Amino acid sequence: MTAPAVQNNPRDTYRWSSRAFVLPGLLIVAVMLYLPFVWTSYLSFTEYDGLGDPELVGLDKYQAMFTDAGFLVSLRNTLLWVLGTLVFPVGIGLLVAVLADGIKGSFWYRLPFLLPYAISGVAVGVIWTFILQTGGALDEALTFLNVPGDRPRWLLDAPLNTFVMIIASTWQAAGVNALLFGIGLQSIPKEPIEAARMDGASGWTLFRTMTWPMLAPLTTVVVGLSIVGSLKQFDIIWAMTQGGPGTSSETLALTMYKETFVNNDYGLGAAVAVFLTVVTVAASIMYLRRQLSDKKEI
Amino acid sequence: MADRIRKAILIVLGLLWLMPVYLIIANAAKTDDEYGSTSAWKPAGISGLMDNIANAWDRGGLGEGVASTGLYSIVAPVIAVLIGAGVGFAIVALKLRRGFLWFVLIFSATVFPLQMILMPLFIGYVEFGLYDSRVGMILVYTVISVPFAAFVMRNFFTGVAHQVFEAAVVDGASTWRIFWRIYLPMSTSALVAIFILQATLIWNDLLLGLTLTQSSETRPVMTALAALQSTYGGSTMPTVLAGGLLVSLPTVVLFLLAQRAFTRGLSLGQF
Repeated sequence: MTAPAVQNNPRDTYRWSSRAFVLPGLLIVAVMLYLPFVWTSYLSFTEYDGLGDPELVGLDKYQAMFTDAGFLVSLRNTLLWVLGTLVFPVGIGLLVAVLADGIKGSFWYRLPFLLPYAISGVAVGVIWTFILQTGGALDEALTFLNVPGDRPRWLLDAPLNTFVMIIASTWQAAGVNALLFGIGLQSIPKEPIEAARMDGASGWTLFRTMTWPMLAPLTTVVVGLSIVGSLKQFDIIWAMTQGGPGTSSETLALTMYKETFVNNDYGLGAAVAVFLTVVTVAASIMYLRRQLSDKKEI
Repeated sequence: MADRIRKAILIVLGLLWLMPVYLIIANAAKTDDEYGSTSAWKPAGISGLMDNIANAWDRGGLGEGVASTGLYSIVAPVIAVLIGAGVGFAIVALKLRRGFLWFVLIFSATVFPLQMILMPLFIGYVEFGLYDSRVGMILVYTVISVPFAAFVMRNFFTGVAHQVFEAAVVDGASTWRIFWRIYLPMSTSALVAIFILQATLIWNDLLLGLTLTQSSETRPVMTALAALQSTYGGSTMPTVLAGGLLVSLPTVVLFLLAQRAFTRGLSLGQF
């Protein structure tokens, strides 16, 4: 594998300058990302309130975590976010991409969906809080449409509040998925599709048997990114409910923050962070393998 | 015929998608009285817009947030793209030993959630006097932008023929000079794409601002907006909406102007 050691091997000529160029990046990433990473892992085995010294308590914090009712609610909500993200932002993104694929001016048709992607999670939260507040725009619209019955308390009742926040996040994220699926659809070879069309396949059958399988590698990336995005979601929830009322709409990302910076239980916060990281990394592997491989078909 | 149905569905869905945009604009422009007396769906002119924006800017603290975040989201990505380009250059052009390993190490730092580093960062920042400082915020934003920058630049430089480098060496140029005078100018499009994406990311950040700042002089704009939103009774809904509209404008305008660079950056980052 290694090249024979010749005098002019660039690896030797540039040994020091190559190190000098990589050093700044490597150094700050090591000091400010990996060192804190190790530190948090360590703190998850300790009792620590930010004052004094951390005291090793073994797996106590993990045990406390898994028996805590609030954590289990948070875990359920996180699972809802992951599932909801697969159905809505990914599903709608695919739908928009398929509908817009190949039609004239497809950029303009896709633009309304892409626009919210440039808006921050907090601003998305501001808009949707306004829409969903009691007697807000949605309630008014339902009354106008003569929908009978009492209006649900969108942001106050669990798990409805988690569900409506997933909708808010869909509004923000569907466009970028449509864009990615659009790129994928464009790069699919046209000949097999045409051949299948000649053979009489059309519409749903054509999509199911031809387009969808060829889109599969890209779908893996979009699904992976979306799952990871839903696990990391913090801003929209913070802006809309701050995880409340109580802890009813918290996800792991918020539970970690609140345990640490509100309840000052650094050990428990660290345990939640480690758990969230394990789940996120596991979900990332499916698309990362592809990102880091040199073989890229699409 | 099928095209017409597809277009119709897209238009209906697209209008539905634009509803929240319409609602925020219509209601951010109402005076408090108009907001209280009209339906959210009914526009009422724009008489309240300037007052609401001024309120959010001054009393809501968004003005200070915009100044701080403006600084963060320009300086940090510039430093990050240079550092990232250096990493890519070392690995691809200078053939750094075990370059791929270092590359994976740097890139993998984007995989875990910020939650995994927040607490030590907070403790360390307090310890070293970086907490609630602009230098500290620029530093942390630079760090979180480096992995993506390194990833894109490494991929970009892989597409550059190594003869370019060898020819420059024959001409007697130093590696430093080759980096500054040949490789960086050559990769302007990639550098701009990274800059735009990271600037947007930083502009939109809430979590780091929430954790590492406190005073209104250093607090980023989204953290200020979240505070404005949650102070019940402090600000009226039209003021909060005007604030949301105001802080969204820069990224939306940037997005519309640089839509191609955006798309390019996205596809560079994801494939």
